[in-house]
Amino acid sequence: MPSNRTATATRETVTPNLVRNAGGRLNDWVENLSETGFAYLVLVPVLAVFALVALWPVLYTLQTSFFADSFSQFHGGFVGLTNYVELLTGQRDALLIRPFLDLSSPFQSVLPTTLIYTAVTVVSITVLGFVQALILDKTFRGRSIVRTAVLLPWAVPIVIQGMIFYLLFIPEAGLGTQVFNDLGLIGTRPLNNSAPTLGVVSLSAVWKRSAFVALIVLSGLQSIDQRLYDVARVAGASRWEQFRLITLPQVMPVLLVAMLLTSIGSMRVYGQIDAISNCSTMPSLTCAVVETFNGSLYGTASALAFITAALIGLVSMIYLVKFNNTSTGGI
Amino acid sequence: MGTDSGRRDRSLVSRVVDRSITDPASVYRKLFYVTTAVLLFVSLFPFYYLLVVALTPQGRTTQAGLLPAGFDPSSFVQLFQVLPFHRFMLNSLLIAISVTAFVLVFASFAGYVFGRMEFRGKKPLFLLLIAVSYFPGATFIVGLFRLLTGNVTVLGITSPNLFNTPAAVGLPLTALALPFAILLLTTFYSQIPDGLEDAARVTGSTRIGALYRIIAPLSAPGLVTAGVLTFITAYNEFFFSQLMTNGAAADWSPIVWGLTNYQTQVSVRYDLMAAASLVGVLPVAVLVLLAQKRIVSGLSSGSLKG
Repeated sequence: MPSNRTATATRETVTPNLVRNAGGRLNDWVENLSETGFAYLVLVPVLAVFALVALWPVLYTLQTSFFADSFSQFHGGFVGLTNYVELLTGQRDALLIRPFLDLSSPFQSVLPTTLIYTAVTVVSITVLGFVQALILDKTFRGRSIVRTAVLLPWAVPIVIQGMIFYLLFIPEAGLGTQVFNDLGLIGTRPLNNSAPTLGVVSLSAVWKRSAFVALIVLSGLQSIDQRLYDVARVAGASRWEQFRLITLPQVMPVLLVAMLLTSIGSMRVYGQIDAISNCSTMPSLTCAVVETFNGSLYGTASALAFITAALIGLVSMIYLVKFNNTSTGGI
Repeated sequence: MGTDSGRRDRSLVSRVVDRSITDPASVYRKLFYVTTAVLLFVSLFPFYYLLVVALTPQGRTTQAGLLPAGFDPSSFVQLFQVLPFHRFMLNSLLIAISVTAFVLVFASFAGYVFGRMEFRGKKPLFLLLIAVSYFPGATFIVGLFRLLTGNVTVLGITSPNLFNTPAAVGLPLTALALPFAILLLTTFYSQIPDGLEDAARVTGSTRIGALYRIIAPLSAPGLVTAGVLTFITAYNEFFFSQLMTNGAAADWSPIVWGLTNYQTQVSVRYDLMAAASLVGVLPVAVLVLLAQKRIVSGLSSGSLKG
């Protein structure tokens, strides 16, 4: 202890007076700030960074969506909502890799592909994630091994996730191609056709993203009051009845959060598509943004981006309404 | 013979049915073990298949099935010779580490303020931060591209051209990971008892002193959790990593390009793609093994609070 004190004392004498005075004045100034003043002082750097690299780009993209495409500049002439109207009515289809909305070929059209993919993945990811959570909720030997195994796919980079499923579904030779082709589900060249590609990309999403749902549901399962099950057992309820009448309603709020986050993720799918196949075989909304952006069609790209955002907002609203109806007292 | 085995089958079925009626718990136990085995298989098989393809000799990769067609581990060496994959890895790691460092500094300030202080405008500000994080990456891209290629002038100061520098990917990734880290640390800091800080203040410690002596040492576990999750997010990101770089290893392109370049620049070498995937997944796999508990608690608490 004494040696420690000496060290501190030495350090203090070494510190130049000027620095110490400045430090003291800063300290006094901070000390005299109101709580709100101090809070904003600490927040200034965060808010500055956030405004520069998040808020400004979003607002600039929104602004760009009201201007015509121009190859030489970011903004052409001001056109109001024309970009949105022409995209939604199909007049811009010629600029996109695939038509925006063409119900005669839903797997080769931007909006239907995105929605089909979202529906398929949300349902299957939720079901698999729920099963994983039910397993992980039990205490058994080797549980931590199972948890690690379930968690591993979640941590895989998107490009490697794509690479795995690209290799599994190589034309004719891939193991997945062989197995699923024997079942008559896909042809010998699945990644060249739109519907099978959507299936493979969905499969890869289920593999990687179910763990996330599992963890959220698991935390819901673990907060259920165990006495409810005791009561149910005394009353003679079967396992299925316990699941239907206690487990499911109790985790419903948490499950809705998990489904909302999964939907948001699915509606902006791009990386997996690009790594597994390509955007012309499976055109998602974000695919269309990337293609138009790479073609310097900034007005169209921005409008498409905000159509995606609006769709995500709309779906989120539906979940939030449902959430308010189910949650009692909030989580 | 036929009737005999038929009778045995029937007796097996009836035995199972009998047992499931008299002892339903045993059926549940069996169902549980089968489901667990299936889950393990589904999660781990793709990694095994990568190994199978990677170990199969060049040119025979289309013959690989459940086992490699031959044995040739040289693909793990060749992958670095055909493309500078180590450079892509290094780029990715450096970008992810610096993003993590930035995010931790900013998010711990913000988390402290949001988690422990009451001030005017707190709620709307917090909601704005979280709301913007749910905007799809696509809504950032035009603005970010304009900003980072040096096309924005404010009060005579032009934004520098950051294209082909690590900042071109690093800045968007920081913005992307920041809200979740703030959310996580806000929850974390709000759980530190007020009494500790109050005691320090009463005994004459200054605001900054209390922050430094009381809060900082206590925040280590929260920072580790936020750091691990931020690193994984940054290392795994695809969208900005691809669009804000040009694909050249020397220009700070990350593994997104490294791996897709095997598809586009090298004539069909499935074994190299598989080997490179295994190498690329190593850093995050190690993190999962080491920090599993933190990832689990961080993900569930962060997501549910949001």
